[in-house]
Amino acid sequence: MIVEAKDRKINIIDTTLRNGEQAAGVVFSKHEKIRMAKMLDEIGISEIEIGTPSIGASEREIIKEIVASGIKGKLFTYTEAIPENIALAVECGIKNIIINISTSDLHIKVKYGQNKTWVLNQLRETIAAAKHYDLNYIISAEDATRTDLEFLLKLLHLAQKKEAYRFRICDTVSRLDPFRTFLLISTILNTVDFPVEVYNHNDFGMATANAMAAVRAGAVSLVTSISGIGEGTGNAALEEIVMALKYLENIDLGVTTARFREIAEYVAKASARAVPVWKAIVGTNVFAHESGIHADGVLKNPINYEVFEPGEVGLTRQIVVGKHSGSHTILHKFKEFGIELTINEANDILAMSRSMSVDLKRPLFDKELMYIYKDYEDNNKKI
Amino acid sequence: MRGLDVLTEFSMKAGHKIEPKKIKIDDTTLRDGEQTAGVVFANDEKIHIAKMLDKVGVHQIEAGIPTMGGDEKAAIKAIAALNLNCSILGWNRAVVSDIDDSVECGVDAVAISISASDIHIEHKLRKSREWVLDSVKTAVDHAKKYNLYVSVNAEDASRADMEFLLQFARTARDLGADRLRYCDTLGILDPFETFMRVKTIIDIVGIDVEMHTHNDFGMAIANAIAGVKAGATYINTTINGLGERAGNAAFEEFVMALKYLENVDLGIDTHLFRDISEYVAIASGRFIPTWKPIVGANLFVYESEIRASTTLIDPKTFELFGPEDVGLKRKLIIGKSSGVHTLISKLGSLGYKIGEKEAAELAEIVREKALSLKRALFDSEIIDTFNSFIGTGPVGADSKNKGVNK
Repeated sequence: MIVEAKDRKINIIDTTLRNGEQAAGVVFSKHEKIRMAKMLDEIGISEIEIGTPSIGASEREIIKEIVASGIKGKLFTYTEAIPENIALAVECGIKNIIINISTSDLHIKVKYGQNKTWVLNQLRETIAAAKHYDLNYIISAEDATRTDLEFLLKLLHLAQKKEAYRFRICDTVSRLDPFRTFLLISTILNTVDFPVEVYNHNDFGMATANAMAAVRAGAVSLVTSISGIGEGTGNAALEEIVMALKYLENIDLGVTTARFREIAEYVAKASARAVPVWKAIVGTNVFAHESGIHADGVLKNPINYEVFEPGEVGLTRQIVVGKHSGSHTILHKFKEFGIELTINEANDILAMSRSMSVDLKRPLFDKELMYIYKDYEDNNKKI
Repeated sequence: MRGLDVLTEFSMKAGHKIEPKKIKIDDTTLRDGEQTAGVVFANDEKIHIAKMLDKVGVHQIEAGIPTMGGDEKAAIKAIAALNLNCSILGWNRAVVSDIDDSVECGVDAVAISISASDIHIEHKLRKSREWVLDSVKTAVDHAKKYNLYVSVNAEDASRADMEFLLQFARTARDLGADRLRYCDTLGILDPFETFMRVKTIIDIVGIDVEMHTHNDFGMAIANAIAGVKAGATYINTTINGLGERAGNAAFEEFVMALKYLENVDLGIDTHLFRDISEYVAIASGRFIPTWKPIVGANLFVYESEIRASTTLIDPKTFELFGPEDVGLKRKLIIGKSSGVHTLISKLGSLGYKIGEKEAAELAEIVREKALSLKRALFDSEIIDTFNSFIGTGPVGADSKNKGVNK
């Protein structure tokens, strides 16, 4: 059966506060974590991973405060499949958890020094502990994309039998491309009818594409982080996922996207990682047009080079004058300054602007354009 | 949303054998890379980048836009005169005088670019489909007089009516053009649609296809790979993905994805990737994010306990390729997510020994410190913390090693 796109509901579970903070060198303060959780809640993200209780007492204090901060959405904490860890989450007032365990032969051998039977037992015991406290739990298969498919399906059947909330497929080493993602997820769903979510890494720049492929194959939930912050190359970026779902898959989650830039900036400050100007969706360069052809096209009609309005993600459009500008950009810019140029004047000023830009190795400020105009006028008066 | 039947058909076809020798990289760092708002390369930098690209084994370099004249033209001339192993291509509008400028620069290949979508034809060019095809004809005929390798670029191909796009491709083929560049100008394709569209063109028209993808929705690499799976043989990349708006398919990501995910080794010298990335970063005035795929400085830096301790035993647990493959180094740092084993190993590498029980206590102190500083610790801070821990440490701390740096 084919479900119409507009009727599909895809869940987002954001892990900025958990895996995002796990990025080497990143530390969020308590206030930052509470603020980020609130921001995610406010824009309409209904599930948030807020930390790992077993890390230590200070982490648990922060988790408790977030739990007490009045967030509407479901709050999750993360744990390895260790039964004793469950009580730590309960102590924090948590109702939803993610139980993670590595499932690939390589990880089972190197990380645990164990075998598959041990993995199953460990998982069963941890599930029993979670059930004892009446917790809602997601089972997360780490390195699932290098896991023997038979074993993975066995775990899915276990999740189904034990009434887990969802099953998470982790592409821990970015082993997937979109095609393999599609085949894996559809194979799984053809065998076991159970809600599946995917957790992607970006080692080959395909986190977002793989997440979209999973949605096509029938996954119901995606794990994201703001700006894609996470271990190594990071995860699928929340803003990319939401916009790609909306514009490429026609699935509108109703998220308040106009706050995307603001939120990306907040996380950038908190993580001491800049938002690259070219960052997809929220980079300031995404709506900056310099080259003659692009700027001219955008000035005639933004639809030529833009899929959505900049305001939709909290950005503004910029027309930049630099080495690659054309005469239409100059005409437009000076019109904004209240000066009507003839096409000949525009061409002369364009030549001056280009050579100045090459000399300075950057585009020009509006002030610099005015200086050029003054010089140009003065020169013409002399003649 | 496309039906599942289409996708099934597609999954059957996808992943047909890719011949490594047939896949060629056409790098456009010097053209689309520089064209992005705010970036200007000096001519010396352009020449240096061209030499580096040639050295690692790129097949073609898109060196710039000759018709811009001045410095741009001079740089392209200089690059063409280097007599590199790779082909040198000049970018042109479908305008005869543009091509004359390319010829003057001494390039052996030209890209002739014109919009193929009705949106662009109507709102940007303000012309007709016939006008577009006529312009292609005039331009390609002109270029072929000079015996140049000709790529006809279908700009905004993703929003073009498929029937017209096929007509466009057929026109190019019949004029003797060597390939069609499929430009996903706005970055709006997903890999599945890319596959279907590119495969359709190749199956029906039978012309070499090049992929030019953009990263507006984070799909540039996935779409380039999808194009290759559909039979495209040329990929237009840029170092660091530098390019208009959110950029293009990053050279280093594409080469490594093809090698490690699709098992297709193009024979590119990947060891120089970090070097080239750094050079282009500096020349373009844009930093390399520490988390940048393939070449980010943090990619082989481990902090969290599980990843760090497992990687120490066998790097394959969390790495598909090693840092040395791309000119990086593996490193352990101690911060908020570090634990006992990471700490023992880190102290060991600094020349200090500590038992597991003490390390557990020290780890707690170290984590608190990282939390209050909001960052990972410097080596000297770790040593300091260790020394004061040993000094005031509990009975049973290994006093024989007190402050001893072997």
